[in-house]
Amino acid sequence: MIDVSHISKRFGTMTALDDVSLAVPRGSVLGLLGHNGAGKTTLVSILATLTRPSSGRARVAGLDVTGRAEEVRRLIGLTGQYASVDETLPGRANLILLARLLGATRAEAAGRADELLELFDLTGAGRRNARNYSGGMRRRLDLAASLVGRPEVIFLDEPTTGLDPVARRGLWEIVERLVKDGTTVLLTTQYLEEADTLADSITVLAEGRVIASGTAAELKERVGRRSVSVTLRRAEDRARTVEALRRAALVPAHDEDGLVLTVPVADSTDIAVVVRAVDEAGTDMAGLAFSEPTLDDVYLALNHPTAAHHATAAATAATTGHPTEAGTSS
Amino acid sequence: MSITADHPRSPANAGTTTGSGAAPPRFRGSSALRQIQVLSGRSLRALREPALVLPGILEPILMLTVFSQVFRSVSQTQSFPAGVSYIDYLLPAFLITSAVSAGLKSGVALTTELNNGIVARFKSMPIHTGTILIGRSIADTVLNAVNMVVMLVAGALVFGYGPAGGVLGSLGALLVAVVLGWSLGWVFMALSAWLRKPEAMQPVGGMVNMVLLFASNAFVPTDGLPSWLRAFAEVNPMSHAITAARDLALGDPDAGTVLATFGICAVVVAVIAPLAIRNFRRAS
Ligand SMILES: Nc1ncnc2c1ncn2[C@@H]1O[C@H](COP(=O)(O)OP(=O)(O)O)[C@@H](O)[C@H]1O
Ligand SMILES: [Mg+2]
Repeated sequence: MIDVSHISKRFGTMTALDDVSLAVPRGSVLGLLGHNGAGKTTLVSILATLTRPSSGRARVAGLDVTGRAEEVRRLIGLTGQYASVDETLPGRANLILLARLLGATRAEAAGRADELLELFDLTGAGRRNARNYSGGMRRRLDLAASLVGRPEVIFLDEPTTGLDPVARRGLWEIVERLVKDGTTVLLTTQYLEEADTLADSITVLAEGRVIASGTAAELKERVGRRSVSVTLRRAEDRARTVEALRRAALVPAHDEDGLVLTVPVADSTDIAVVVRAVDEAGTDMAGLAFSEPTLDDVYLALNHPTAAHHATAAATAATTGHPTEAGTSS
Repeated sequence: MSITADHPRSPANAGTTTGSGAAPPRFRGSSALRQIQVLSGRSLRALREPALVLPGILEPILMLTVFSQVFRSVSQTQSFPAGVSYIDYLLPAFLITSAVSAGLKSGVALTTELNNGIVARFKSMPIHTGTILIGRSIADTVLNAVNMVVMLVAGALVFGYGPAGGVLGSLGALLVAVVLGWSLGWVFMALSAWLRKPEAMQPVGGMVNMVLLFASNAFVPTDGLPSWLRAFAEVNPMSHAITAARDLALGDPDAGTVLATFGICAVVVAVIAPLAIRNFRRAS
């Protein structure tokens, strides 16, 4: 549905995109992951016909985005930091305006606006000026605005940046519902968790280049940082347990208060090895968990140094408020 | 500690649709005419918000008050036409100067919009770029006409405006002003599409405005200006419009001047509008 082939974009001497290729099958979600300045917005602008590539070609539904921009625009919806709404108009009036511009009759436009307000939980705010909306409401209205014509492809450029975790999850649910309706989605994000949650496949962008792509699982495979975490009931059991694990040829690390031991393993069958070792040590376990590597690890492992720095920052932001791998201070 | 594996989309919610019916209509585009109608309607919504309309009406009235007091002495000078009251002389010129301000406002509003995101959305939609500017031009022209009617009425009721040309003459003057405002609106919109940033648009637009305004016969007859300024004032299109409007209002219209003003305005739009639209469409 989206087909990007060797796209480059230069602004003067600055290269924003360097030979980027990717493909998004119909009805699937591609997560475009990258730090600030990686080129995500530039790529979305090219696909949404707002910017011309310097070289390479891109197609949406088989239509070239430069040669057949008019037709492409009939199929797409765009939500981003820049594609927004008329702040001087109420939310409902914005949606009606867009529907009318897309060819809906007055009645159809009003119906579609109310339907979207309902879907995005904005019915109560429909008659208030958009400029008085909270950040989360605004983002929902922006997304609603891009869905008015029921587009077949939507571009979501950092749809949840700056939102609190609750608002973010609310938006994720909406995106998931869209996908179930068969919409093709290209989503950009700095949040690894977001790509992991929403995307079927992930392309990692760093300084205008694709540095990795594949399914989330494939990326994790490449990085291979699976681990088993053992939560102890008593800190005094720690030394004994660590020793037992070492005897099983494992390399445990523990967090600051010494209650959580993180044990890197090759695959899930090693869970048994860990359990046996803990049992051998006669330790009381409060919990046991098997962790797939997170996308943080993927990003850090694949990236060059500057990107890695950004990744750490993004990961910290992304993982706030949900349980993460236990801190390891080995 | 949770297992952070993949989060496959749960099939439990499958089938939840965003639409209501079996095959909800996809909206794919409208005619250029519809776009112009909807977009000018959007800009005209301002008429419903007094906070946005009142300044446009009060500003010229305030200026009128100040100027009619400060420059009253001009009507005693030699170069001033005999037997004409200063307000009758001044108000037609004010119609023209507020037409220029209205044009400037179109440009500034466009720059603001270019940067607040709605235009980016329009550009990603199946909309002819030109209709965005045409819609704004129509709305601003209508607003401008309304403002001028208010000015004329206020002038007649409060300041004793009652020129020899009568109601018809004043309506003629109004038409000249509206046409000029329409044409300058395109000039300022072109400037805006080229400059893009309000920080740049404000001073440049303001400067153009000042030059058009003060190097003209708007406030005093050109005979009263120093010779170097008079030379410019006489080729300034504003002066033609002011002369045309003033002559119409004062009941002594010269068809040549009036037609020249309309002609110049039409040529300006014919040349500038395509440029404005092209600049506006230009991808960053
Ligand atoms: N219009 C522009 N002119 C010059 N440089 C630009 C322009 N747009 C983006 N860039 C540069 O291109 C790079 C990629 O930007 P962008 O696509 O916005 O990244 P992201 O969306 O991933 O944060 C950045 O270094 C940015 O400064
Ligand atoms: Mg961006």
